[in-house]
Amino acid sequence: MPPIRALESLDLAVAEGEIFGFLGPNGAGKSTAIRLLLGFLHPTAGTGALFGLDIVRDSVAIRRRVGYLPGGIALYDSMTGERLLDYLGELSGRRPVRRAEWCDRLELSSATLRRLVRDYSRGMRQKIGIIQALQHDPELAILDEPTEGLDPLMQRAFYDILDSLKAEGRTIFFSSHVLSEVERVCDRVAIIRRGQLITTDTVPALLARRKRNVDMRVSGPPPRLEGVPGVSSLTAADGRVTCRVEGDMRPFLAAIEGAAIIDLTIQPAHLEEAFLEFYEGADA
Amino acid sequence: MNRALFGQTWRAQGIKLALVSAALAIWGFLMPVIYAQFGSQFRAILESGILPAQFAKLGGGDIFTLPGAIALSLIHPIAIILTSVFSVGFSATAIAGERQRGTLEVALARPIARQIFYRTLLAASFSFVAVTVTVLLAGGIAGAAFAGVTGELPIRHFPLLWLNAILLFGAIAAMGLAASSSFDRVAPALGVTLGFVIVMYFLEILGSLWPAAAPLQPYSLFHYLRAKAILLGTPVFLDDGLLAAVIVAGVVWALVVFPRRDLAAPS
Repeated sequence: MPPIRALESLDLAVAEGEIFGFLGPNGAGKSTAIRLLLGFLHPTAGTGALFGLDIVRDSVAIRRRVGYLPGGIALYDSMTGERLLDYLGELSGRRPVRRAEWCDRLELSSATLRRLVRDYSRGMRQKIGIIQALQHDPELAILDEPTEGLDPLMQRAFYDILDSLKAEGRTIFFSSHVLSEVERVCDRVAIIRRGQLITTDTVPALLARRKRNVDMRVSGPPPRLEGVPGVSSLTAADGRVTCRVEGDMRPFLAAIEGAAIIDLTIQPAHLEEAFLEFYEGADA
Repeated sequence: MNRALFGQTWRAQGIKLALVSAALAIWGFLMPVIYAQFGSQFRAILESGILPAQFAKLGGGDIFTLPGAIALSLIHPIAIILTSVFSVGFSATAIAGERQRGTLEVALARPIARQIFYRTLLAASFSFVAVTVTVLLAGGIAGAAFAGVTGELPIRHFPLLWLNAILLFGAIAAMGLAASSSFDRVAPALGVTLGFVIVMYFLEILGSLWPAAAPLQPYSLFHYLRAKAILLGTPVFLDDGLLAAVIVAGVVWALVVFPRRDLAAPS
């Protein structure tokens, strides 16, 4: 079997106290990057540091300060939830000072914790996964697809937890496919594809950079939009004009001023579309 | 060594260890009783020439002397199968099993160096081996007392026998754990270890039953379990050294391979 090149030239910096979203399609290298940071994989080239510590040489010291939720976490099924959290807390060597608080917010009762993990639903397993990552109040939480399996109410509870952690200055490294939640909780986002970092920016900046879909109906001649800065994919037929507008909206708004517009829709920018545009651009 | 991991490993294996220990204690107990009850009859049968002389010394054990019966209790397939529950079953699945289930990354996300993780499981393996060997030998002593043949029992040689047996089963456990630290799945780790033990055992038993195959015996680790010789006061310390060398080889392999392995995301 030929060797697989996993990740290649990622170059990423995450600031202390921010919630950082890590986006990419399957096979982009998200999990590989995380596993490099935690010492599961060894880099063949390049370096990495967390808290100023080398990810290879100081891996144990790094993990002492990190909470990690793997994607699709596997748990020890023969333990009760409580025993599992105790055990993982003992392995961490730090007291689970925030377990009760997170259990309360994720509605994981004492009775539930006394049940065997093998009897847990997918959502309960994910809650346990989140709690084991955060119960010892780590300085940095690395969360891989954290809301997988959570119902909308619990997703909201989880976002509230992230808000609390952010307010306390904790750093969250957040990998997800659910773009709406990245948009909801993250300060900055990195998009990677095939091991290459496509972009890193704040969520508002990403949203501002993306193209908006414009759809208007006019009763007279269509406005002259050819050559207007930021306008592309222009079509005009049967009193209907569609186009895409990128960046500053003012030239576009100036161009349609005076047109007999019956209806105008400018679709709000969603990160998902920005995400797809980046990928389309990367493919080109 | 990590106390939490060691404690959890014991908790997880506790019931199995109790059951295996009980079975080994009963097995150890039976051999001196069988010797006391039927040893002379078996000797008469053998001396009649009905059975080949090789049948009297399966793997260095026999049923005509108490040291031989104790030795037989250690090398008999029943004892090998029971001790293999831990020396093979536990050791070969300890790391590969966690890896296969996906729980290894949950554990190793904690501040535990892989060397510490391995050494803790090695210590657990050896502690299980020590318990199983101890109860087997204790069963033998109890059986001898029950059968009223304690006078024939060279108790003073038991510590050396205990050490020799622990080194043998410890060597198997070290090989199992080395295999476990080298594979992502249980099947190859268990297959390699089990295959190794079966071939070793086959060589030893074949050599003891068929004189022409005796030169193969030194290639078997079981050949260096010198229970009867130890109980008769003629231990061969070089054998213990060889078993210890196998343990060291297994440990060095695992300590070199496991920390350097790339643990990709479970598929």
